[in-house]
Amino acid sequence: MRHFIRNSDWILILTVILLTGIGMVLIASATHGDALVAGTNRFVKRQGIFLAVNVMMAAGILMLDYHSLKRIAWPLYGITVLLLLGVMFFGHASLGAQRWIQIGPVTFQPSEFSKAFMIVCLAAFLDDRSDYLDQWKDYLPACLFMLVPFILVLRQPDLGTALVFAAITFSMFWICGFKMKWIAALAGAFFCAAPLLWQFLHEYQRNRIRVFLDPELDPFGAGYHVIQSKIAIGSGMLWGKGWMQGTQSQLDFLPENHTDFIFAVAGEEFGFAGAVVILLLYMLLIWRGLTIALNAEDRFGTLLASGITGMYLFHVLVNVGMTIGIMPVTGVPLPFLSYGVSSLTTNMLLAAVLQNINLRHTRLQF
Amino acid sequence: MFTHTAADRLKKMLAVALAVFVVLGIRLAWLQLYKGMYYGRQADGNRMRNAVIMAPRGRIMDIHGTVLADSSPGYVLSLQAGHAFSDQETELLARLLGLRKEDVREKADRAANTYEQIVIKGELTPQEITSLEEHMKELPGLSLDLQPMRHYLYKETAAHVLGYVGEVSETQLKQGKYKGLPPGSIVGKEGLEFVYDDVLRGKNGRKTEEVDVRGKVIRDLAGQAPVSGKGLVLTLDFGLQQELEQIMDKQLAALRSSGIAPNAYAAAAVAMDPNTGAVRALVSRPGFDPNWFVGGISSAHWKLINENRFHPLTNKVINGEYPAGSTFKVVTGSAALDQHKVTPEELIFDSGKHWLADMGNAGGEALGWINFQTAFAMSDNVYFYEMGRRAGIENLNAYAERYGFGKPTGIELPGESAGLIAGPAAKKKVFAEEWTLGDTFNAAIGQGLTLVTPVQICQMLAAVAADGVIHPPYLVEKVVNADGSVYQVPERPKSRKLEVAPETLRLIQKGLKGVTQPGGTGAWFANLPVPVAGKTGTAENPHGQDHGWFIAYAPAEKPDLVIACIVEQGSYGATAAGPVVYDVLQSYLTQRIKNETKKADEPIKKRDSLQ
Repeated sequence: MRHFIRNSDWILILTVILLTGIGMVLIASATHGDALVAGTNRFVKRQGIFLAVNVMMAAGILMLDYHSLKRIAWPLYGITVLLLLGVMFFGHASLGAQRWIQIGPVTFQPSEFSKAFMIVCLAAFLDDRSDYLDQWKDYLPACLFMLVPFILVLRQPDLGTALVFAAITFSMFWICGFKMKWIAALAGAFFCAAPLLWQFLHEYQRNRIRVFLDPELDPFGAGYHVIQSKIAIGSGMLWGKGWMQGTQSQLDFLPENHTDFIFAVAGEEFGFAGAVVILLLYMLLIWRGLTIALNAEDRFGTLLASGITGMYLFHVLVNVGMTIGIMPVTGVPLPFLSYGVSSLTTNMLLAAVLQNINLRHTRLQF
Repeated sequence: MFTHTAADRLKKMLAVALAVFVVLGIRLAWLQLYKGMYYGRQADGNRMRNAVIMAPRGRIMDIHGTVLADSSPGYVLSLQAGHAFSDQETELLARLLGLRKEDVREKADRAANTYEQIVIKGELTPQEITSLEEHMKELPGLSLDLQPMRHYLYKETAAHVLGYVGEVSETQLKQGKYKGLPPGSIVGKEGLEFVYDDVLRGKNGRKTEEVDVRGKVIRDLAGQAPVSGKGLVLTLDFGLQQELEQIMDKQLAALRSSGIAPNAYAAAAVAMDPNTGAVRALVSRPGFDPNWFVGGISSAHWKLINENRFHPLTNKVINGEYPAGSTFKVVTGSAALDQHKVTPEELIFDSGKHWLADMGNAGGEALGWINFQTAFAMSDNVYFYEMGRRAGIENLNAYAERYGFGKPTGIELPGESAGLIAGPAAKKKVFAEEWTLGDTFNAAIGQGLTLVTPVQICQMLAAVAADGVIHPPYLVEKVVNADGSVYQVPERPKSRKLEVAPETLRLIQKGLKGVTQPGGTGAWFANLPVPVAGKTGTAENPHGQDHGWFIAYAPAEKPDLVIACIVEQGSYGATAAGPVVYDVLQSYLTQRIKNETKKADEPIKKRDSLQ
């Protein structure tokens, strides 16, 4: 126990506690109207219950050694593929995409869990091959390894999660020594292939990109979310309108305000000051994640930690970027803040894995 | 730590993360600090809805204070601003409300691009509200509000005087008196509603409400109360007006069913006080219910009006132009007597036709040696041909002009027709033919090219009744405030002297009185409780049966009511229009006698109560 207390990353723990706390406060505000009608806030309740369960699960993970994850990597890969296939055949649709699976009273999003599973699987896969990653061809097996789940989420269609897979892959490749010139070549290839990729996008996805470039194209349709989100955040100014006082979120001008657009609620009700505090907390989270990657006792730990951190960073960039109009709209939640038990559970478990890696750390600092 | 490369790469990753946060932070500062005020206004624009509170339109009352038109709250359906409606939605709406599809579509397109809601229909019936509520789920973006709505309490009664209100049209917004009004304003479209719109309309109030995204009002933020419009007190006597309309409708029905005049659907009648010009009653047939127009006319009602070939919306009192028929003998007689072309005693021989042309009396009868009085009472054509010949067309037309023909009377209704005084020049212009003696003959008995409106004929007779003063007809006695105090007395055309010698007028009056006595063409008017004066007329109609005129004033001495009536395609004036005037005068005079005895009794009663 003394070992646990001494070797725990308390900054990480505190950051996660603060972020989940802020998340609850924002969800309470965003769902205030619903709570008034229902008499009780079912969203806060549900998120709270799952948070408690998640804390216990996290504690359980700390008891184990993260190295055991490597042993279950291949079964985990199989489970991931099965889950994603399951969504395809048994999932139910919402907002134009098939993403949910219902088991008893609980609906969950397998694509959220698949992010965590794929981090583990890829870390294990790369760890085994890390001595042979000199040529760009050496990365092809890993690419193929990721391609299967990538295509499955893309078929849902869930472009957001697919991009998260790409971000995870890229983070770990980078740590393994993926060369700058290869990145440049990939970027070049992407731009050349862009018109072809455009053909594979769904019409609503194309609209999101069109509207991202010019939201006024369709102010009451596809551009509506971004316009209203920018209005919400901008009108918060320095100090915000106060908790539960945001007119954009309280009067429902801002849709999805408790899930994907929760950051807009923060920006509107707590202003620039509140938004910056949240960004600083994420900065702390990333900093701790990378430090843990640096101090990990082995390559698997480093890969795991950098994959997790890369995923967090990508989520923050894409989600916050979307709410402030510098990223297209993709269904990527904000870690620890957005309402959604699948996302919360995934992020909590990954934070626990980070902590687990840290418990077996060496002492290096940036 | 397993390789140096990894450590280096992790450091670079941290740098990338820092860069990401800096970019996000800068963007936040731009949105919240630099553009904060701009987005603040946008947020207010979202949540605050400026709604117009319609001012209740001023009441319109008759001379005794009977309310003819008022404003009472009714349900109004509007389309929310900025809401896009599909074709299915607009078609469903049109079906539920009985409106035209294209109209609803056009309004929906306007609603999608404005910031103020667009009224789709006012004055919803309970059935319409129920059927709307059943379909509310399929029709988002609608709002149902209570607004003051115009009500015409007696439906068709005095419809052509009152006119009606409706939403200001696109063209009206661009030109004319409604230029620059906010779209969707309810304005007067016809009749006094149009002419007195500026005083009746009042001033709309405003309110600022906080609404949610569905348009539900959360709370009121600010506002300005509306100022209701001023009221109008008319010269109309509601009792007489209703009487005249009922009698007219009964007579038209009787004419049609008896087979005398199967096409007698259109008619006009106007009654006024010859001493002031105050119009007491004004009827045009067929009529319409002005309530149909309030809040948008339904396609069924529009069809009913549009497909009626007798033009219900046309006010035939001011826009119907007819030959004057024998009523014009007032003018011919005035010209001949005034210019001393004949003396009242001179006898002229009527052999059944005039000796200079093969033109005679309508029935072919011959009256022998007759003087002015007999000729007028019996409406002898040969005598008046001779009067016309002696006076000449120039004199006839000059006197027609003196009596006010050929130009609008100036009554406060929009678009009054001028009529036409036709002489040789007009004939040449229209038919490219020379004026003949026959034309003068026809002009003398009112069958020529000259056209008159019923209100002009009424004004003519009133001038005779008032011993030579023309008081142009008017409809609005005063404009009043809500408490009944006088706000304004509208300016009216000045009274003027009729340029006809008093002696001539006395003779004309005598002639008119003769018409309604035994031996005259309206002999049965002698049965009225008080002697009256009048004249029959039959206007030839090349398109169908002749139009029948009857004009009268009562009592014969010190008259206070002049009435002119025409029944289109009603045949002879005496049978078509005469009964209408007779019945109205019967009732009017009986009532008048009753009032006079009551007045005489009152002081006695007072004395009784003192004891």
